[in-house]
Amino acid sequence: MKNNVVKAIVGLVVVLAIVLGIWYAVGRPPAEEPVAGVPEEEVPVDEEVVPVGEEVVEEPVEEEPIITEIGTGDLHVSFWNGLTGSDGVTLNEMLAQFAQDNPDISITVEIIAWDTLYMKLQTAFVAGTQPDMFLAHASGVPMFAEFGVLRDLGDQFTSGGGWLADDDISETTMYGLIWDGVKYAIPLDNHGRGLWINTDMFEAAGISTDPATAPTTFEGWVELFQKLTIDVNGNNALSPDFDPANVAQWGFAVGEWPNVNFMAALAQHGGSFLSEDGTTVTINSEAGIKALQQVIDLVYEYNVSPPAAGFDSWASFGGGTLAVIPTGTWFRNWAALQEGINSMAWPNWQQGPAPSTWFGTHAFMIPAATEGEDLEAVTRVIQWVTENQAWWATSGQVPALMSVQETLSAEEFPSNILLGQTFTEYGVQDPRSPIVREMLTHLGVALSEALNDMKTAEQALNDAAVLMQQALDRQ
Amino acid sequence: MAGIETYQNKKVILSKERTVPFYLKLKTREAVAAYIFLAPFLIFFSVFFIRATITSIRLSFFDWRLLRPDITFIGFGNYIELLNDSIWWSAVQNTLFFAIMTVIGATIFGLAAALAVTRPIRGGEFFRVLFYVPQLMSVGAIGLIWNWLLNTQFGTINYFLSFFGIASVNWLGNPDIVMQSLSMVTIWWTFGFPMLIYIAGLQNIPEQLYEAARIDGANAWQTLVYITLPLLRPAILFVMVTGFIGHFQVFGQPQIITAGGGPGRASWTVIIYLFQNAWVAFRMGFGTAIAMAIAMIMAVVTLIQFKLINRNVEY
Amino acid sequence: MSVIKTSVSRNTWKIWVYLFLFILAILILFPLVNTVSQSFMTNQEVNVFPPRIFPFEPTIQSYIQVVTQGDVRLDLWLRNSLVAASGYTLLVLLICSPAAYAFSRLNFPGKKILFAILMVTIMIPGQVTLIPNFLLLRDLRWLDTFYALVLPGAANVFGLFLLRQFFMQIPRDIEEAVVLDGGGYFARFRHAILPSSGNVLAALSIFVFLGHYNDLFWPLIVTNTLETRTLPVGLSIIQSSYAGQFRPMILAGAVLSFIPILVVFIFFQRQIIKGVVTTGMGGR
Repeated sequence: MKNNVVKAIVGLVVVLAIVLGIWYAVGRPPAEEPVAGVPEEEVPVDEEVVPVGEEVVEEPVEEEPIITEIGTGDLHVSFWNGLTGSDGVTLNEMLAQFAQDNPDISITVEIIAWDTLYMKLQTAFVAGTQPDMFLAHASGVPMFAEFGVLRDLGDQFTSGGGWLADDDISETTMYGLIWDGVKYAIPLDNHGRGLWINTDMFEAAGISTDPATAPTTFEGWVELFQKLTIDVNGNNALSPDFDPANVAQWGFAVGEWPNVNFMAALAQHGGSFLSEDGTTVTINSEAGIKALQQVIDLVYEYNVSPPAAGFDSWASFGGGTLAVIPTGTWFRNWAALQEGINSMAWPNWQQGPAPSTWFGTHAFMIPAATEGEDLEAVTRVIQWVTENQAWWATSGQVPALMSVQETLSAEEFPSNILLGQTFTEYGVQDPRSPIVREMLTHLGVALSEALNDMKTAEQALNDAAVLMQQALDRQ
Repeated sequence: MAGIETYQNKKVILSKERTVPFYLKLKTREAVAAYIFLAPFLIFFSVFFIRATITSIRLSFFDWRLLRPDITFIGFGNYIELLNDSIWWSAVQNTLFFAIMTVIGATIFGLAAALAVTRPIRGGEFFRVLFYVPQLMSVGAIGLIWNWLLNTQFGTINYFLSFFGIASVNWLGNPDIVMQSLSMVTIWWTFGFPMLIYIAGLQNIPEQLYEAARIDGANAWQTLVYITLPLLRPAILFVMVTGFIGHFQVFGQPQIITAGGGPGRASWTVIIYLFQNAWVAFRMGFGTAIAMAIAMIMAVVTLIQFKLINRNVEY
Repeated sequence: MSVIKTSVSRNTWKIWVYLFLFILAILILFPLVNTVSQSFMTNQEVNVFPPRIFPFEPTIQSYIQVVTQGDVRLDLWLRNSLVAASGYTLLVLLICSPAAYAFSRLNFPGKKILFAILMVTIMIPGQVTLIPNFLLLRDLRWLDTFYALVLPGAANVFGLFLLRQFFMQIPRDIEEAVVLDGGGYFARFRHAILPSSGNVLAALSIFVFLGHYNDLFWPLIVTNTLETRTLPVGLSIIQSSYAGQFRPMILAGAVLSFIPILVVFIFFQRQIIKGVVTTGMGGR
């Protein structure tokens, strides 16, 4: 017994020592260290532009500590958002600068993954513990507006006597901010679907990496993917000796957020999520079934993608086993971090007669309960961030203000510019409905069933459409 | 009234029982003391359990979305919708299958481990601790670990299997085996607890019984079946009952490992169904009806278990 | 320990037992070791295929990252979890022990009915009480406080049963001695029951603590801010976002959060076993 006790105590002490050692050696993040500096200097991810990276890209987190309690002002603002990953880091940096410029305000930032964020916002509204401001998707505006918890932000726009120029915002973006004729949100960015390609794999397969040469038909894309899908013996998918059971490198991955892929594909085939008047679900139209069937075929007929389940696209891309990943503007900084993987952005692939892609808008919203001093402080934060949207571009997303988009340099922000153009030209957003999240859940299930060979495209979409229609009617 | 009899037609008072006032009677004092001891527990119980359950039952007859002000009475509407929902029934099926398989698996492994660890061998204590370690981890950690290991394309398990010439198993992507995979993970995670219970139970079996068996010439198998197992029956009952109740309410594993019950709805459990309806669609009334239904199912199965396993077990 | 002597030579069955234990140990250890070693890899190395069990270039970078990254407040979460779980455990012991004593030693009207009700409640899933309790806490303005984490569920029926089982088995002589000395019910509780209960209380504490420490759903709903967020909630929030991107960091977080529990368990495991044994739950 004694031996065991001694062992346990020693173990405990050693472990505690290690843990404490790490904590104190590295140093706790100081609560009020504002981050000074202009974006161009501090963000190493510019390396992404040059395909052959000379310097090793340092991870931003080593350069400066990321702060969640920003500033020391008496006027305190609580802010929630879902920007996990490198874009949230960028926003925190911006807010730190704001706090330096506005020493009377302090901000506590809480970053919570989107799904959880929406749930927490709801429970917080119920509890009366909602934050002073939050950043969510414009697609959430109908839901929050219906609950009656949002403040009318019409007075922030120049049309209502405010500072934000209405004509500096594209029509498609503005559409997302309004529900029932009221403007409820202030846009930060557009973010959306695009492809990231592994340039080395493209060159090895003899395919040009210039996005202008991208195929414009489904068949063209299939061939491209086939050239990029290689089995362990070096045969690509076009060769008769191709062994689909032993693939070493995949051309594409259908399982990466299938919902938005589908929405884009649906639009490409001329379909739409909801009918014009928003009362009928139309995902199971001819266009929808065709769109989904094409993706199913990529997996089971052409063998250029693994089935959706049990596959981690990001990990594979980073591990060098995936040539093309359908992802988005948010991928920029992470892509740059992958040592040994040279990549660049391409527009979304075209599988239908017309090109299309999905995009969304991150927007600031203010709870109706935020008033007085808090409201003033919150407005100042939002205004400052809006004026500095160019900084936000370093996160990979596309600034919402059109004037800012024009100022972006092509060397630094190729992916933002490239994809941003596609959003303006032919982008589609989430359907406008208070129950959009519930509907997207049903869609997600349908896509999962179809892509994992559990149901045919038609069955899956029909079943989902029924459920979505029920939910819609229940409104 | 006590102590008055008739003797030769005359009332004779034999003895007068001192009537003790109610509040001094031993029985009363004991009852009062008992309730004082019970009070803290009962207070918490009534506030956070009884009241909550009654509210839930009431709520299940209404239609209520969390943030909407209107609450409408719809009688049995929620229950009818539930009974007619094929997704609900498939979730029940999945969950029953999962719970039964996991309970049986954890019991068998737990028992085997307990038996092995209590032999007179060296390092029994080390193994005992080791086998319980997974149980100390949170479901989030478990999800992280096993999601990776069971990855179909590039996961470690499939990689190892390839050395034996076994083709990649689609652990989490094949709707026919996904519940089995989740059950496997759960058994790995939780068999330590049954093991502990059985160890305790084994330690309670008197030496003499084994001696007697040996003298009578019983071999290991016979000893196991005729002596050990019957005496472990209370432990087995306990493990299976609590195990079933716990595993029937599984949520974390499918939610995290198969990203919400995939593929499709192949690993939707009843709690995922509840979560989707109550916390994603925010239909609180419907959600409480689902919770009630889950309670009823568990009650039925538990009763069945008691009938089957519980013979002459003191509780 | 019971010994089964068989007619086969002693050493044969020992080999089988060792083999079984060894294989089982590998099955348990492998994922654990894999996880820890992955936490010492770089982001790149983790995604390499074929997968590596041990890092070729080990680094403690993830550990540094996880304790310094601003939105990963492991220190706060850990503090909250430990405080909440300890508070909860203490509360459970405080209210369940006297109640268990009452059920095991005293007679009172309604005893059978009350017991039956309690037995039934085990079968009612936590989801049933979740929403009403959430609303109650909102009305009391206790959301996002430690009360929300500690109070609901303190009436732990499992704990009550466990302790009752145990108390029923304590020999009555000590108690009788206390009675002879003129002690009342409380004295009997304090002097006769509690002193013998060390092990079972330890066992119950660990089970209760563990259950609370690892609970995800309830704290997810009742805590909204960093100040009260518990460890599992914090980890799950960063997990869903970072897992594909910074796996080693997430794993480092999971490992760090797991160590306190592991240490406590190793330290107390003998008491726990003894505690479980003496409750007779394993059968008499």
